[in-house]
Amino acid sequence: MQHDYGHFEEDQLGKPYDIRLMRRLWPFVRPYRRWLVLTIALVIVLTFLDLSMPYITKIAIDRYIVPQQTSSDAAAEGDGVRPYTVRLDGPDVRKVVERHPNLFRVQGGQATIPFEALERLSPTEVRTLRREDLSGVGMLALLLLVVTAAHFGINFVQMMIMEYAGQMVMHDLRMRLFNHLQGLSVAFFSRQPVARLVTRVTNDVQNMYELFTSVIVFIFKDLFLLVGITAVLMAINWRLSLVTFTVLPLVLAASMHFAGLARDAFRELRIKVAEINARFSETISGIKVIQLFGEQEPNYRRFTRLNHENYLAGMRQIHVFAVFMPVIELLSAVALATIIWYGGGRVVQGTLSLGELVAFISYIRMFFRPIRDISEKYNVMQNAMASAERIFLLLDNKDGLRKPDPARPDPGFLDGEPLSVVQLDRVSFSYNPGEPVLQDIQMELRRGETLAVVGPTGSGKTTLMHLLLRFYEPDEGRILFNGRDIGNADPQAVRERTALVTQDPFLFTASIADNLRFGNPDLDEAGLRQVLESAQCAEWVRRLPDGIETVLSEGGQSVSSGERQLLSIARAMARDAELIILDEATSYVDSETEERVQAALGHLIADRTAILVAHRLSTARGADRIAVMHHGRIIESGTHAKLLENRGFYYRLYQLSR
Amino acid sequence: MQLIKPYFLANRWRILTGLLCLTAVDFLQLCIPLVVKRAVDDLTALNVVPSRLLVYAGWIVALAVFIGLFRYVWRRCLIGTSRRIEEGIRNQLFAHLQQLSAEYFDRSKTGDLMAHATNDIQHIRMATGMGIVALTDAIVLGTAAVGFMITIDLRLTLLVLIPAPLIVFGTRIFSRKLHQRYRVVQESFAELTETVRERFSGIRIVKAYTRENGSSAEVDRISRRYVEKNLLLVRVTRSLFPMTIFFSNLGMVIVLYAGGRLTISGTLTPGDLVAFINYLGMLTWPMMAMGWVTNLIQRGKASLERIQRILEERPLILEETGTTAAPENCSGGLSAEAVSFRYPSEDGRRRVNALSKVSFRIEPGQTLGIVGPPGSGKSSLLQLIPRIYDVSGGRIRLDGVDIRHWPLHRLRSSVAYVPQEPFLFSGTVRHNITFDDPDIGDERLHRALRMARLDRTVASLRQGLETVVGERGVVLSGGQKQRIALARAFLREEAPLLLLDDPISQVDTETGNDIIGSIRRMSATRTVVIVSHRISAVRFADRILVLDGGKVAASGSHDALLAEGGYYADTFRMQEVEESFHAA
Repeated sequence: MQHDYGHFEEDQLGKPYDIRLMRRLWPFVRPYRRWLVLTIALVIVLTFLDLSMPYITKIAIDRYIVPQQTSSDAAAEGDGVRPYTVRLDGPDVRKVVERHPNLFRVQGGQATIPFEALERLSPTEVRTLRREDLSGVGMLALLLLVVTAAHFGINFVQMMIMEYAGQMVMHDLRMRLFNHLQGLSVAFFSRQPVARLVTRVTNDVQNMYELFTSVIVFIFKDLFLLVGITAVLMAINWRLSLVTFTVLPLVLAASMHFAGLARDAFRELRIKVAEINARFSETISGIKVIQLFGEQEPNYRRFTRLNHENYLAGMRQIHVFAVFMPVIELLSAVALATIIWYGGGRVVQGTLSLGELVAFISYIRMFFRPIRDISEKYNVMQNAMASAERIFLLLDNKDGLRKPDPARPDPGFLDGEPLSVVQLDRVSFSYNPGEPVLQDIQMELRRGETLAVVGPTGSGKTTLMHLLLRFYEPDEGRILFNGRDIGNADPQAVRERTALVTQDPFLFTASIADNLRFGNPDLDEAGLRQVLESAQCAEWVRRLPDGIETVLSEGGQSVSSGERQLLSIARAMARDAELIILDEATSYVDSETEERVQAALGHLIADRTAILVAHRLSTARGADRIAVMHHGRIIESGTHAKLLENRGFYYRLYQLSR
Repeated sequence: MQLIKPYFLANRWRILTGLLCLTAVDFLQLCIPLVVKRAVDDLTALNVVPSRLLVYAGWIVALAVFIGLFRYVWRRCLIGTSRRIEEGIRNQLFAHLQQLSAEYFDRSKTGDLMAHATNDIQHIRMATGMGIVALTDAIVLGTAAVGFMITIDLRLTLLVLIPAPLIVFGTRIFSRKLHQRYRVVQESFAELTETVRERFSGIRIVKAYTRENGSSAEVDRISRRYVEKNLLLVRVTRSLFPMTIFFSNLGMVIVLYAGGRLTISGTLTPGDLVAFINYLGMLTWPMMAMGWVTNLIQRGKASLERIQRILEERPLILEETGTTAAPENCSGGLSAEAVSFRYPSEDGRRRVNALSKVSFRIEPGQTLGIVGPPGSGKSSLLQLIPRIYDVSGGRIRLDGVDIRHWPLHRLRSSVAYVPQEPFLFSGTVRHNITFDDPDIGDERLHRALRMARLDRTVASLRQGLETVVGERGVVLSGGQKQRIALARAFLREEAPLLLLDDPISQVDTETGNDIIGSIRRMSATRTVVIVSHRISAVRFADRILVLDGGKVAASGSHDALLAEGGYYADTFRMQEVEESFHAA
């Protein structure tokens, strides 16, 4: 059964199976190869058990139910009569034989009776004669029971091992993909919709799991079974096997032909489904525009056309399967007919036993079962392959920073040395070529200083913050910590020194305590309390029913937006970093909370080096220095007093804000 | 259920033919073991001529040919019907969603709706297609096989069927557990998805705080838990299948033991025994299918109910019944009387008013400007005019008639609207502007392009108007998208009302001024309502509303508001300073 894990965008079509994808999957399978070997070994055992069941029936028929004539019965051969021979070694057997002298032919210690004549004896007499047969059948039934029970147990164990290995492989793949994506640059995340990346890590990995299990089942179980059946049939009677297998080339040709048709049908259907999904999602997102412009009718007409194309593609697929399945059935019937006709002839000739014939029939039915299931597996494989491709495409994406290998790597960056000066040296940056966002930015900040950056929306303030965190690399110029280019350092080493407070406080779905520990995992109880205190959170957190263990949820009502701002400041405090990078929140909060936010900010930047994007001139005023940005350039900078003296942009803004 | 009934009725002949063929296939299939039995019995006695065997073989092939033909027919009929149902329900759902109001889409997640449109419809198709086939198959094949077995030997049939109740019983117990564990797995999967989503959304914080390792550990923990829950689930699913096989093999043991003894003692012929073995093999599938089928059908039913629930949603905004008062021609006089508005909330919690007691009045051909800080209710007010949402209190009149008394399509076709976030469809630039309306001539189109300052941009695109803009217009910049949305509205020359929500927020000052110029020229003949955070875009308006916290803080002409001071005057001066520095 195939589980559905939500829809996913289909931007690429599944190509036919690619052995390269299998090879890429191998490193993930490697750690579990012991389990894999074990499960394959169990599959082999299972195949033997599967194969043994018709064989046990064959033995039961040939040896006990319809005993074969031995060579000593040559006399009976060819006269169209199946003899039944009993040894005259018990008094009760002898009694039965003596009672029907006209039926039995006694020869030495043996008596022979035509098989059909057994009907003329009373049931008790037959039971007496065939005592050994009865106990033999009982023994074989017991053996079959044991085989059946063993099959059940081993089957379960094998499946659990396979599931365990498969799940673990997928877990590793998922973690690998997650870690890989997490390591990519922020630029990558700005370009890719988050939902799509999430789908890759969750749904696509789950789809690949189907690939893993179905490949194992297909290659090992089905293939082994096919090979095993062929071997057993050859061993029983190679002549009949060869005759029966004359249909095989047809089966093979039909399967190959079908595979091609099915692939086209699947592909077409997949494209249509993807288009339908796209149209659906577009209509939902653009519903206001559609309704305002009265586009419902034409949009519906376009959709029905597409939907009908999907229906037609579906019908084509049905046609392909509706032809394939009966053709395979027909071929299987032809195989059966061959066994009856050719094999039956051999039975009459005496070169084949009845049990062997019955076994042949059972084995042939077993043989065609996996072939019929191929269609379903094909579907699963196609789906999984498409997912695998998308996953490996992402893993191949080496979208790191723009300078993946710094010219002079600086592994021991700052190495315990305190951060005493931050410099920006003629830094320029653009997201898109030809549209500069920052130009020629020059600034210097000494330990303990606060620099406020002010300027209209879109002047590049937030981008500047992102460069300092090495989310992006400057196109030109350098950013220096203690005179060392951060472009040469490990980004983590740079970020270790900083604490970021974003404009929209982003908190995780976790308790308040865990969110604060996000800033510093080693924070103890006392530390937590102190941070809450100085971030003006202690009082209202205490009032929450669960206190510091209150879980913040997305859109949760327990904590207001102002309080979320306070928590994001507290998180930065918990980090106790040397450089604070702060983008002041613009969202409106009530004046009481606003006062608290200002106080918390004051505590955060006191005694620390800080760069803050100020949206309120009151915040900027308290800074040691102010840089005024406009269209990506610093047009003025200096202390509040000096800027007022200059009577420039800042002065005029300040006058207006009073 | 009443949702698919019409489809069943419309396709009743097709379904009937399909079911007949399916039944025929089942019976013909059961005939094959009979032929084999005859052959085996003849062979046991060794009294058979080769030509007789050829007849048997011929019978088998002939039966198979008919089986194949009937099988083709039922596949086409039954599975084809399920495709028809799929198509029909999807069309229904699509058409219905298009009629629902914005309020519905606010409270439902796009992802959920997409899941309904894809997974649920797929489940319905599976249930009505393979579900019905497998159910019929299982019942017909199952009962027929048992029937044939009874004709051979009643006692042996009863013996062989001993494990059958065990299978049904076992499946029952297991499926209850299965259901519960499946839910746990789903929950765990949702948790995993949410965690990954959150970590990716907050990637800047994760990176800034160098918590990549912590994040990874968290995801690892949840992924492991997911694996664990999955293993608990497969312990059930993976034992269900071997269990069914075990019980069916148990039947085989019984046949071998009891059937073998009966054959030896002459009660049963060897051919009977072989036929019995064959029928037993045929029974395995129906027994196994029952569990699968009930699951499939139950899932389909649940999906059907979910779709039904969506189809039962009624649009909040309907054409009122007494829609007679609206005049023939709309002239564009607009007034609001003490309008209050609260966004509908999903959880019944009372939300604060987005607008309270807002009133204004403009005559046909006049221009109204709306300014105010973010979140003051500007866009909300604008959206009330074409009834994207309905007022919660008070009323809005167009030409003196309450807009709720206007036929909805006439109201909306009187309005040309530029939303705050331009929405582009994935087609061509032309499609996005004209919606492929054949009545729009090139001259008119180019006029709209010029007014939106889009003419040169379009000319610079490689395929001009035929450029495909991609999903939501990814190939275009924000400013280009906004200007396409403007051109789309400007093209509606016949609409007497032009509503603009921050129309120049994403274009540079110069282009913005040109567009404002176009709007001013248009405002001579049309009623214009323009929301903007740039004062320069509204200063020419006959009347300007200053909103703050959903209330009208001030209103009047540009000069009057400047003289009054406050937010309007402050913002105006601030922007003047910014613009003067830009010019410098």
